[in-house]
Amino acid sequence: MPPSTDLLQGTLDLLILQTLVSRPMHGWGVAQRIQQVSKDVLQIGQGSLYPALHRLEYKGWISSDWRSSENNRRARYYALTAAGREKLETELETWKRLSAAIGLVLSPEASS
Amino acid sequence: MMREALSRLRFFLTRREPNELDEELQFHIAQSVDANIAAGMSAVEARRQALLEFGGVERTREQCHEQRPGWWLGTVQQDVRYALRGFRRNVAFTVTVIATLTLGTGATTAVFSVVDRILFRPLPYAQDDRLVSVGLVQPMQRTEFTLGGFFFDWADNQKPFQRLTYETGYGDCNLTENNPVHLHCIHVAQNFLPTLGVVPSAGRNFTAEEDLPNGPAVAMISDGLWLSRFNRDPGAVNRTIQIDGHAARIVGVLPRDFEMPRLQEVDILRPAQIDRAEQNKVNSGIGYPLFAFARLKPGVSIAEAKAEMEPLFLRTQQWIPAELRKDFHLQVQSIRDRQMADFYRAAWVMLGAVLAVLLIACANVASLFSARGAARERELAVRSALGASRGRLIRQTLTEAVLLAIAGTAAGSALAEVLLRVFIAIAPTGMPFLGAARLDMRIVLFMVVLAFVSAGVFGILPAMERPRLTALGARQARSSRQVRVRRVLVVSQIALSVLLLAGASLLVKSFWMMEQQSLGMQTRNVVTVHVSQNGEPSAKETADFDLRVEAAFRQIPGVTAVGMSNSLPPGGPHAGSRYSELEAEGSAPTPAGTGGSVAWRSVTPDYFRALQIPILQGRNFSDEERGLDEHLAILSKDLAARLFPDGNAVGRHVMHELFNPYREAGPVYTIVGVAGRVKNGGLTGDDEPEFYELRTSVQPEMWDNHNVFLVESSLPVDALTPWVRARIAQIDGTAPVEIDTMKQVVSRLADRPRFETALLGFFAGCGLLMAVIGLYGVISFVAAQRTQEIGVRMALGATRADILRLIAGEGARLIVLGGLMGLGGALAGAQLLRSLLFNVGPHDPVAYGAVVVLLGAVSLAATLVPARAAMKVEPLEALRYE
Repeated sequence: MPPSTDLLQGTLDLLILQTLVSRPMHGWGVAQRIQQVSKDVLQIGQGSLYPALHRLEYKGWISSDWRSSENNRRARYYALTAAGREKLETELETWKRLSAAIGLVLSPEASS
Repeated sequence: MMREALSRLRFFLTRREPNELDEELQFHIAQSVDANIAAGMSAVEARRQALLEFGGVERTREQCHEQRPGWWLGTVQQDVRYALRGFRRNVAFTVTVIATLTLGTGATTAVFSVVDRILFRPLPYAQDDRLVSVGLVQPMQRTEFTLGGFFFDWADNQKPFQRLTYETGYGDCNLTENNPVHLHCIHVAQNFLPTLGVVPSAGRNFTAEEDLPNGPAVAMISDGLWLSRFNRDPGAVNRTIQIDGHAARIVGVLPRDFEMPRLQEVDILRPAQIDRAEQNKVNSGIGYPLFAFARLKPGVSIAEAKAEMEPLFLRTQQWIPAELRKDFHLQVQSIRDRQMADFYRAAWVMLGAVLAVLLIACANVASLFSARGAARERELAVRSALGASRGRLIRQTLTEAVLLAIAGTAAGSALAEVLLRVFIAIAPTGMPFLGAARLDMRIVLFMVVLAFVSAGVFGILPAMERPRLTALGARQARSSRQVRVRRVLVVSQIALSVLLLAGASLLVKSFWMMEQQSLGMQTRNVVTVHVSQNGEPSAKETADFDLRVEAAFRQIPGVTAVGMSNSLPPGGPHAGSRYSELEAEGSAPTPAGTGGSVAWRSVTPDYFRALQIPILQGRNFSDEERGLDEHLAILSKDLAARLFPDGNAVGRHVMHELFNPYREAGPVYTIVGVAGRVKNGGLTGDDEPEFYELRTSVQPEMWDNHNVFLVESSLPVDALTPWVRARIAQIDGTAPVEIDTMKQVVSRLADRPRFETALLGFFAGCGLLMAVIGLYGVISFVAAQRTQEIGVRMALGATRADILRLIAGEGARLIVLGGLMGLGGALAGAQLLRSLLFNVGPHDPVAYGAVVVLLGAVSLAATLVPARAAMKVEPLEALRYE
């Protein structure tokens, strides 16, 4: 399958990578974290979360292993790999340029 | 990028535990429940909410699965399994497609592999496109030759050629060492190999000094001789070998792929050592025959070279006796054209035939897939409705097509290999290079690609169209267009196969005519024996030797006649004379150069007995006359009728004029008898009138190394052969012997027509078979489609005969249309076959009648079977249909 350039999917990938920067997390943790940080604006359903996690892992940007969670359940933890870190940087770069550009277009000065 | 690819590869190769994902999802739900409880819900409510929030697991599972690299490979597996199941369900379709592809690719590959060697092979010479054969042609010899007197004049004055060279065409020699063998020695000019651009693989070419008259005895040996005699020892160069009893020093070895431009066999090359001055004296002052080859200067075309040579030719032409001069013409053609002159036509016919078979096969595959596509329209619509994407459907049909193509081409390659072996086995010996033909991988590849493309295109077309919802309701609107396409395909298939059938039928009839014709002699129980003496025996020595052999043969038990001749009918080369050189007693001489040629044989009385050639008037020669110094002759019926129109040839005289170099009187022959007509121009050639002179023991000039013995006996050949060999060994243990039966000699002449007939017959059979399959397919499809209509018609009172007429009429229209188109094409194209035909006109009514009958019978059968099935339809069932 060719890598999708879909904006939404790309954005979700970016969010997941950014979330994993600080420490390895399990899927539920990632979803909670994104929800928390975005002040409940971004709710990631499992239906998109897990395929995304798997895709990122297949691409080698994150890796996973089984550990026991904070409440002693067996959980799969995802961690950023070196490649993932690089990817995140370039993606952030792109994102910033893009959002700045969109911001410029949408700013009231531009339309006046 | 690299790292990403590696990671994908790793995951592609390792399989993840399927329940890991479930565990992960369970964990997610458990966490949600915990969170909900923490938010104050009851345990039951918390779990309910968590599950609600979570949604469907199956979809997630599938999506995760699809993220996996190489996931689509799994679907290929699935498609393959599905396709195979489909093939098992529809064996007839599968077998037909595979058989069609097998025949189509197999036959085409085999024939291309053969034809490619004949038409397009590279010659083993440097820049072979610039090599030409230069020489004279005349009605009795249509390939170029030249004469010593001419050649050297040309060589001195020519401009268009970089180099001009010759070989003498002289052939036989014996290697007289421990194991005497008969070899092919060819004498060539010093610049022969340089002109062809051939470099010896060991040693060197002849030097200019070695090509001077009475120069040192040197030789170059072929790679085959180098291997068999010296085991490819480089030390063979500079060794001496005994050729015809004389020592010759080996100076070089010819490359492994070396061949003579005229393709004659060669074991030893020797410098011709021709004395130029002598060429203006011998053979009436025009010199010995030579075969000239040249390398064109860069930028000079063959036509330009011929134009530039014309003045030289016209000057040398003056040396030819005036009576014959106008018969001679200059000819320049590429070496390839010279080699393949006779085979071009046959090769193109084969190529055309196989292309027709290929087209028929393609049409068949298209037609079959189209039918299958129509039959599956509903299936595709259902699958589409159940959520299969268009890409998925196309991939599915493509998988099926590719599978069939793989099976078809694999079987086709095997068939090609088998066919090629059959071709080589039945091919005439004179067909150049066929023995060396191999399956050409480029052609196999081309066929595989072609099969894939055609199966792919025809397979995908039905899937390309978005399956329409109405297809779920299954009425046949769209299928009518497909039927139209298939009708066109079937008509063209029939037309093509009629074309093939007509060609094959003509060849079969021609072959039959050839086999049926009377040879004018018997060939059973006759063995021919060639004995070549070593060295260069004088005519007297030859006569003594041959007479001793004859006497020895007569003592073999069971032998009833031992004849001698200098040549054999019906095919082999024979001596000849011009008709105008024969002057019958009491009539005016015929104008020079008219009347064609006369076959000339020098025979003993037993020649007529062994071959049972009837003496129609007068008598045979007698054994006593062999000892007389007289010129006696027997004329063939045709010759007697021409020389003595009054019908009384016996006892009269014929003078044979000589040209030395001008017309002068020659020996006068007394005619003792008239013999029946014997085929002597090959099986298919025109017969020449024949002059038999008695070979006497007292006229040594009648004896040369061309003697052949005809031994008629009641013994089987296998029993006779050791006797013959033993008798010759008693006389000369070192003389090579060749024994053949007369039957083989004749049958070999039929090899080529047999080959061509068998080949074209095979193709015509394949073509007809496939066309009939296509026809059957269309008619049964149409019949099935019209089941409901048939039901309505019958309900409205149509009889079963009406239904039969309805469906069979459909088929008959296609047959007649295709048949007429094919016949028209065949009548127009049959001229191409003319040179391959014997005693059969290209528009022979019997041959075409046979085609019409065969096509009519087979294709009507293919129509009637489905038509009868349609006729038996029960109206009630038909109306309930669908």
